[in-house]
Amino acid sequence: MITIALSKGRLAQKALDLLEAAGYDVSAGREESRKLILEDEKTGLRFIMAKPADVPTYVEYGAADIGVVGKDTLLEEGRNLYEVIDLGFGACRMCVCGPVSLKGKLDQIPNKRVASKYPNITRAYFEGTKKESVEIIKLNGSVELAPLIGLAEVIVDIVESGRTLKENGLDVLEVVADISARVVVNRVSMKMKESEIVPMLDALRKQVAIMNAAKAQEG
Amino acid sequence: MGNYRFHTPDGVIDILPQEASAKRKLEADLRSLFSGHGYSEVETPGIEYYDVYASGDFVAPEGLFKTNDKDGRILALRYDGTIPVARLAATLLKDEKPPLRLSYIENMFRFKESGGGKLREFSQGGVELLGLDDAEADAEVIALGIKSVLMTGITDLQISIGQLEFFRGLVEEWGLSNEDAIELSTAIDQKDIVRVEKTAERLGLSEDAEELLDMISNRFGTYDVLDAFEAKVRNETSRSALKNLREILDALSDYELLQYVSIDLGMLRNMDYYTGMIFKGFTYEVGFPILGGGRYNKVVSTFGRELSAVGFSLGINLCLTALRRQDKLPEYVRVDAIVGYSQEEGMRKAAFATAQALRETGLKVIVDTEHRSEEELDAYADEYGIEQVIFVSDEGEDKEEENT
Repeated sequence: MITIALSKGRLAQKALDLLEAAGYDVSAGREESRKLILEDEKTGLRFIMAKPADVPTYVEYGAADIGVVGKDTLLEEGRNLYEVIDLGFGACRMCVCGPVSLKGKLDQIPNKRVASKYPNITRAYFEGTKKESVEIIKLNGSVELAPLIGLAEVIVDIVESGRTLKENGLDVLEVVADISARVVVNRVSMKMKESEIVPMLDALRKQVAIMNAAKAQEG
Repeated sequence: MGNYRFHTPDGVIDILPQEASAKRKLEADLRSLFSGHGYSEVETPGIEYYDVYASGDFVAPEGLFKTNDKDGRILALRYDGTIPVARLAATLLKDEKPPLRLSYIENMFRFKESGGGKLREFSQGGVELLGLDDAEADAEVIALGIKSVLMTGITDLQISIGQLEFFRGLVEEWGLSNEDAIELSTAIDQKDIVRVEKTAERLGLSEDAEELLDMISNRFGTYDVLDAFEAKVRNETSRSALKNLREILDALSDYELLQYVSIDLGMLRNMDYYTGMIFKGFTYEVGFPILGGGRYNKVVSTFGRELSAVGFSLGINLCLTALRRQDKLPEYVRVDAIVGYSQEEGMRKAAFATAQALRETGLKVIVDTEHRSEEELDAYADEYGIEQVIFVSDEGEDKEEENT
């Protein structure tokens, strides 16, 4: 039995589509119900529907063998996992954003206050990459409010289209990381269930390659 | 201030009789296994100076449980077994001629492991073989690691063996900067094949190199893997790493333990700490390796003595978790027999003697200090699942019966 932890919502559906395209019977995972564990004895697949931020935890502890989760969650949670495939979908960027007037002047503000839903990513970026100490303010949503209302100078958040930013007079100042959905595998499962997991990963990689090729053609 | 008197802090647990008994037995077996292989046990203090761990850069300071002594010096609780043993080998044991074979069974304390079930205090048993720098020493330690796991009753065991010098040789051959080497090794270690390919492309590596990277990520096995790599690799460092692995496999084959091991050259963790062969052991039902070790030739020298070293540690709590989940914990018997006695003179003395004689045969025996009658004692033994009931009375022979 292979246990796969999916991030509830759109990402889960896309992950199931991909597994199906790779030749796996995922009907158990599509069952419309409030069940949190969807199991199919026949196919040997068990899906658990978890909050995205919890997927890396389930996989690290071996409660799930495999997980599908956004790179943003992986960076924030910092778990010890095999990160085996970049699925390409759910693509966006983790950015430092602030008032347009700060463009190119970010480094000139001393003692910055940075608001974010991602305090660990923020700390790693400012302290690790930029070698700068900042005050981090953890928020849980509508982070764009913080610079508008004077709670923080800048924010670190996910940017997809950038529309919310523009409408509020904000802009991307620096890119922290490219984000997309990833397949992660527990380090023990990879060894103990190699005969099931490795073929699944190979099939998924093949599908991702096909998907990327199709996208390249469109583009 | 809150009142926490009913609680244990995050990451530490009470161990109840059944598991405690299994744990003590496991530790006792481990102790005799280690000493049976000529490893002498040492006991290092639970509290060290912070510098012991911090000066070699082997442990992130955030991971240590810290406190101060009265002079303001920073102290740290024992974080692992290896570094204190390395300190010992370079200080109190500095005049002992190598090789040194040392072992420990201790509790470790890790500040950062909190949250979600990882313990912050846990037991590890391990060995360090100091002063021998060859494949036979590597194999001795791996073999003892495997025997340790098997001795616990875990039978589903997989050992992955890597060799960090193999990758270091490629880094030199390809002329990679330190940063690029770290990026590449991280991608390989995470088995992120696409990122490995992208990094190789960015670094402008040859087709041959890309093929090698693909093999590192995908080829596991024993001699067949070594053959395949030997046919492709030219640089001396990598080739001698392969030779080291081949000799390790040869020795493990003579130990008759080859069936448990598999070569994985993509294991590239803790590259600051380990300097050659590394290995990890896995079983079902626990998400973390239960066994880990390798060669760490630079650690003892941070304490001022040039001494090569190889060792492993076994996660005792993880083994117990695996045994519990695999339904392999030994059945726990609280008491084997109860001895009662009648109220005539001299019977208590006779009961004590009877109980003592039984204990000397290895049974767990209690004496009924609550003065039950023979019938009451039978009923009591029934209720508590005590197999043997002995009632000592004046009416001739002691009565013994099996409680079924």
